[in-house]
Amino acid sequence: MESFWRVLLLQDHNTRVVLGGACLFGAAAGLAGTFLLLRKRSLLGDTLGHATLPGITFAFLMADSFGFSPRSFLWLALGATISGVTGMGAVLMIRKLSHLKDDAALAIVLSVFFGAGIAMLSAIQQLPGGQAAGLERLIYGNPASMTASDAWFVLAASFLVAVICGCLLKEFTLLCFDEAYAMTVGWPVRPLDALLMGLVVLVTIVGLQTVGILLVVALLVIPPAAARFWSDDLRTVTLVASAIGGISAVVGVISSALLPGLPTGALIVLSAALLFGISFLLGKKRGLLMRYFVEREAARRLHREHVLRAIFECAEESDPVVSIDALLAKRPWKKNHLASEVSLLADEGLLTTDPSGSYVQLNGRGDSEARRLVRNHRLWEIYLLTHADVAPSRVDRDADLIEHVLDPRLVQELEDILDDKARERLVPSNPEKLQP
Amino acid sequence: MFHCAAPFYYHLGLPKQASIPLQIPHRGLIFNAVKLFICALFAFFTALVGSTHAAIEVVCTTGMVADLLRQVGADRIRVTALISDGVDPHLYKPTRDDVAKLLKADMIFYSGLHLEGRMEATFEKMRQQGKPVTPVTSSIPVEKLLTQGNAADPHVWMDPLIWAECSRSVVATLAKADPDATGLFDENAARYRESLAAISDWIRHAISTIPAEKRILITAHDAFQYYGRATGLEVMGLQGLSTESEAGVADINRVVDEIVKRQIPSVFFESTLSEKNVRAVIEGAAARGQTVKPGGMLYSDSLGSAGTPEATCEGMLQHNTRTITKALSGDTP
Amino acid sequence: MKSLPLEIRSLNVAYHRKMVLWDADLKIHPGRTTAIVGPNGAGKSTLLKAALGLIPSASGEILFYGEPLKKVRSRVAYVPQRESVDWDFPVSARDVVAMGLYKKIGWCLPVRSRHRRMADEALADVGLAEFAGRQISQLSGGQQQRVFLARALAQKAELHLMDEPFASVDAATEQAILALLKRLKEQGGTVVCVHHDLDTVAEYFDDVILLNMRVVAQGPASEVLTPENLRKTYGARLSLLDEAVVDLSRPGAPREP
Repeated sequence: MESFWRVLLLQDHNTRVVLGGACLFGAAAGLAGTFLLLRKRSLLGDTLGHATLPGITFAFLMADSFGFSPRSFLWLALGATISGVTGMGAVLMIRKLSHLKDDAALAIVLSVFFGAGIAMLSAIQQLPGGQAAGLERLIYGNPASMTASDAWFVLAASFLVAVICGCLLKEFTLLCFDEAYAMTVGWPVRPLDALLMGLVVLVTIVGLQTVGILLVVALLVIPPAAARFWSDDLRTVTLVASAIGGISAVVGVISSALLPGLPTGALIVLSAALLFGISFLLGKKRGLLMRYFVEREAARRLHREHVLRAIFECAEESDPVVSIDALLAKRPWKKNHLASEVSLLADEGLLTTDPSGSYVQLNGRGDSEARRLVRNHRLWEIYLLTHADVAPSRVDRDADLIEHVLDPRLVQELEDILDDKARERLVPSNPEKLQP
Repeated sequence: MFHCAAPFYYHLGLPKQASIPLQIPHRGLIFNAVKLFICALFAFFTALVGSTHAAIEVVCTTGMVADLLRQVGADRIRVTALISDGVDPHLYKPTRDDVAKLLKADMIFYSGLHLEGRMEATFEKMRQQGKPVTPVTSSIPVEKLLTQGNAADPHVWMDPLIWAECSRSVVATLAKADPDATGLFDENAARYRESLAAISDWIRHAISTIPAEKRILITAHDAFQYYGRATGLEVMGLQGLSTESEAGVADINRVVDEIVKRQIPSVFFESTLSEKNVRAVIEGAAARGQTVKPGGMLYSDSLGSAGTPEATCEGMLQHNTRTITKALSGDTP
Repeated sequence: MKSLPLEIRSLNVAYHRKMVLWDADLKIHPGRTTAIVGPNGAGKSTLLKAALGLIPSASGEILFYGEPLKKVRSRVAYVPQRESVDWDFPVSARDVVAMGLYKKIGWCLPVRSRHRRMADEALADVGLAEFAGRQISQLSGGQQQRVFLARALAQKAELHLMDEPFASVDAATEQAILALLKRLKEQGGTVVCVHHDLDTVAEYFDDVILLNMRVVAQGPASEVLTPENLRKTYGARLSLLDEAVVDLSRPGAPREP
């Protein structure tokens, strides 16, 4: 426990380096991953991660045979980049030159490249001299041994990703949304696409140390997917995605201090998944729970409105004191559903019920509220009849009053029609009787 | 046949030209028959004695086990080690070629106590094939083993006296395959145990020259507990008993703490592990003002390359001891 | 001689080994609205896309205002089919319209409030002023179509190429698009639409191009929409009833009292 607090409070140099490096990687992955997700290329990120393995092992074998230290990360990163890019090129070529679709091309490249890498890894394992130690780390990640120079590399890469995405935000947005239109307007679509994929490659290389080859795609995809539940605006989505990526990385590192037996890379991904789950349920814009509450609230409001209008209309036709049975006859309500709404309205102070509960009467406030709702509803009805061609697109379930949606002159026109009908004593609730 | 007849002529005192069968037909024939018979007997016995059993094909896992086998078995066995020097046995996965070698072997030896963690299934398969598969550590009395939690520490070769116990299982198993050489195996084993005892004394003496406050050995993983127990050296590893568990931030912090608190001057790399974790520790200590020097490289889970003095257990232990004493300001022997 | 907004000569487009467009020749005249009609699979969308360089053509010459497209891009606006994008994308109607201004804004520079105002103006022109802030998935099909139109309007181009703008839209949108076409014509612009509905083509457009892999006929609607031409374009598929409807819908044809 004590070690957990030490890590949380960043008391050690190593902790600071590891947390800083992991956090920056998470943020960069979230940012680049947003565009990858919007471009519908998430699986390509997975293939890219796996395709780096043969490059790494080949670079290792080359270095070993030439006699210089093969453990230098930059050298391995170069190998990883070349083979990752080759893998992506292979996917494009397979797609172009054969009838195979995306999913088959991706699966082929992923398995072939990764298999080649594993075979070479096995060969490296046999090499004498202890040089192979640590290559397996790149598959599973080991952020805890990050040194200051590693962290600087992560910082530089993340900075580059942030700057490019920031400068080219609108260009990437257009590229992801409508590539054909972008081409007609004259944007260089292919180079922009290549640049975007280049950023993804860069993030993948950085991620090799932190979460390892296999899990890089998780940090590219999960944060933007989670961010989507919080906002419908692209700029906000990218920021939230970066934040989620960074937070997942930090939580993963800190929890690995608390649970020493578990690998850090996996804990980072689990944290990201946890945040995704939270976003899925509670996301402000599209979270499951939010939507449920919004729907429930809307249904409740509608029910209240219907009850009030029904009471008003019954009162209009006959007697101010309205019987529950008359209300039940008017609409297909369940008895207790109606009863609960009536008691809620009574609590609100809009109506009074008689002791037996079978009669209700609107009081002053209730009467004016019901009148407002009835008038609003009748105006909408007239509008739908008179403007049948355009009306359907204007009617908004959530709009409170017709004045909030239509312009005042139109509302005035409708009111005139309504008043005419009222003066002629036509019952407005039978719209067929109205002349268009 | 005739070339062996010549000495018998001298022995029998007959002049060389004596074999003229045509002159004295019956005597010549009988003499020849007797000579032939004696020749044949001689040849038979020479063949019997001269043709040794073909050497036993032994396949083993680590270089340490191979070294032990060579010391005990001498030229009655032919030893192949699967895991080359510098390769981590904790993570080693047998290849197809390895399995082929195992299948061709007469006997299989491995270190045991889960050192070769990923080869258990392969050993089981070999046992099912009817091959004798023996962990050399099986002859160590249980009370002499070190444990960490529920697991036994497999790095027994670090204490020469404990490693000497392993020779017993080797002798017992080899004797089953080649009973005639049992005496030879026993002799070799006894001789080896003596030399291991001598090394043990030498190591203890060397370590005792290290000043008391510097008697701490920090390495990349917990491979030196037996060494520490035998010599009175305190040991600390970044990764645990097996390199399958990764070192976390908490582990690195813990070690940096110790270094700074006790002003430890050196930490050590291991030949089978990446230098990364240890370098992170050095950097962490430097950030807190304690300069830690890399003390050098130790052989922990493997021997040195073939042809170097470190290619035997004794050579390896000597190298380690010299490196440790030099870095921790002892008298390097 | 002033160059035509669009002139295509001998355009051949193939998809794998199947010919989609065969020796297509056409001329678009300035200041007029033109419809491209033909049966499904006739290559109408392909014609637009090939003209704009979105798909490769096997051979042919395409000139916009006498030049290749890349020299006069700022004078040409494209309205693609609604299905060509994912409307779940996290942008608002205003953001989409602003995309028409990106080229003017330039590389790496942000979208400023005055650009957003221009986008709002374009949205008002198509009757979507109060929907500017809505995320595009919350718009109806017709409204989405109008957002695309507004984007093209924001470009302030002279030639507009539209791919099935009237497909599956509500009446309000139809009115809005027609009003827009009229206004563009009045301002001296040229419009070319791929249109699917024979009933309305003569009413909405000045000129018609009948296309079925090759250009069967082109010219003013009243002249081109003869039963003979229609048979050549649609083959025997065109039923008697369709022919009668087309006849009736031609301007100048006798109407129901």
